[in-house]
Amino acid sequence: MDDLLQDRKMNAKRFANHFEDFKFDYHPFDVQSPKQFLITRRGDCIDYAVLADHVLSHHGIPTRLIRVEMVGKNTGHAVCYVTEDRAYLDYNNRKYFFVLQRSGPTIREIATTVARSLDANWTFAQEFSFDYESFIKRALATVVKTDPPELDADKVIPPRSKTNP
Amino acid sequence: MIAVSTVAVRNIGRSVDSNDWVNHTHAVILETEALRSSLLVANGTLHTYVLTGDPRDQTACRNALADIDDHFQILSALTRLAPTDHAKVGQLELPINRYSRSIEELLVAKAAGQDNTVRTLLEASTINNAVREMERVIKSLKDNQLALLTERDTASYHQSQTTRWTVWTGVALNVLLLAGVAWLIRDDLSARRQVTTALEEANRFLESRVKERTRELGSANRHLSTENLERRWANHSLEHQLRYNQRIIDSISDLVFVTTHSLNISRVNPAVLHVTGADSTSLISKPLKEVVRLVVAPAGSLSPLPDPLKYALKAGQDLRDQPAEIQDRLGQRIPVVLSLFPLRDNNRVVGGIITLRVTRPASKHSA
Repeated sequence: MDDLLQDRKMNAKRFANHFEDFKFDYHPFDVQSPKQFLITRRGDCIDYAVLADHVLSHHGIPTRLIRVEMVGKNTGHAVCYVTEDRAYLDYNNRKYFFVLQRSGPTIREIATTVARSLDANWTFAQEFSFDYESFIKRALATVVKTDPPELDADKVIPPRSKTNP
Repeated sequence: MIAVSTVAVRNIGRSVDSNDWVNHTHAVILETEALRSSLLVANGTLHTYVLTGDPRDQTACRNALADIDDHFQILSALTRLAPTDHAKVGQLELPINRYSRSIEELLVAKAAGQDNTVRTLLEASTINNAVREMERVIKSLKDNQLALLTERDTASYHQSQTTRWTVWTGVALNVLLLAGVAWLIRDDLSARRQVTTALEEANRFLESRVKERTRELGSANRHLSTENLERRWANHSLEHQLRYNQRIIDSISDLVFVTTHSLNISRVNPAVLHVTGADSTSLISKPLKEVVRLVVAPAGSLSPLPDPLKYALKAGQDLRDQPAEIQDRLGQRIPVVLSLFPLRDNNRVVGGIITLRVTRPASKHSA
């Protein structure tokens, strides 16, 4: 963890390169501690997204955590959107050369791209925050697919900007 | 086809929309269930924590409370545009807040070791009432969503049927168009075949006409060649005859004058040139009377004619052996015997041939 936080050249691609050989281990929206995730080298999308959000924010790179719910049970997916790259980090893409998946900045655009990558329909998507101190997820904005896009929460509320703590 | 395609695309869009609404209803039902599960988890972990005092149970209870809040927020967002359901979700807010506050108080009391307070809070009806209230609203919300699911599924089914009909209509229309195109192609091929046959027939007719015409031309050509040859032979013969005649006339020792109908000289033989000493160019076209003159009236005529030669030509009669004189280049008169023979062409007198026989030899002239 310290290596990730102290790497001065850290960026989204560099972060993704650390996780190429990590295994997938599903914990439905229970976030593992970063220590456990990095030691066991096993985890799921939310472990990866939350850690990316934590590390990249630490280096002053603006990020957003997005959760996309697809149809059915336990079919949610979480990604970390990197604002300056207009792309998101996805645990499913960690082994590929193109680890960043390009997408527009709205929650609806990100949800549509994520759902398409999983060959699924999405129902709602949420921007949320998480910190390793309280281990509690907090919803910031929720977008429902069937709602008119002009009523989307992130169209009304400007995206949250993070600063280096 | 454009209209059918437009309708099909619109129907597909509507099918996707109705499918999204079915998915949306499922999502609401799942969130309702998740809220209920989180409620059960919060209750379970709370009681475990009260019994064990294990901080991990406390954390699990707090996480469950956070999950309840999270599911409530999601339900609120999902039902935002459905006033009835949104109102029902809104009914959850008060009991959730009451429940969360009571649980927090209980957790704090337990952490502080205030067992009496914990017991009192557990025995109080606040938590149970809140749970019952939430269960009632959740059940009502779920029932509503299930009814809505049936309704939306029916709408989705009808939409699928409409899409299916549209697609089949498009297929039928395509088949009809294909049949029409096939008929047009067949018709076109038939017309082309007819045109080809007509062209072949016209070609055959033209070829036969060309052959016939070529035959005729060949025949005409052969005929013309023969005619031409005959004509050449005739011309040769005529030329020969003419030259022969010329020789005959030229070899006559008498003086021969050929005149026009008005008695102008048109030709003379060499004997004339020899006797008169004149050249042929000075004699041609000259009136005959300027060179030759009759001496007396012809014997036996009742009255002398002003010009017996002209009269004889007009009458088409010969005039034979008439005494006459011819004047040479020096003006000397030479006595001659004159005969005139009318020159006929197609039984019409066109001129005359006059022959003069010198009765007395004249002095020689150089030509």
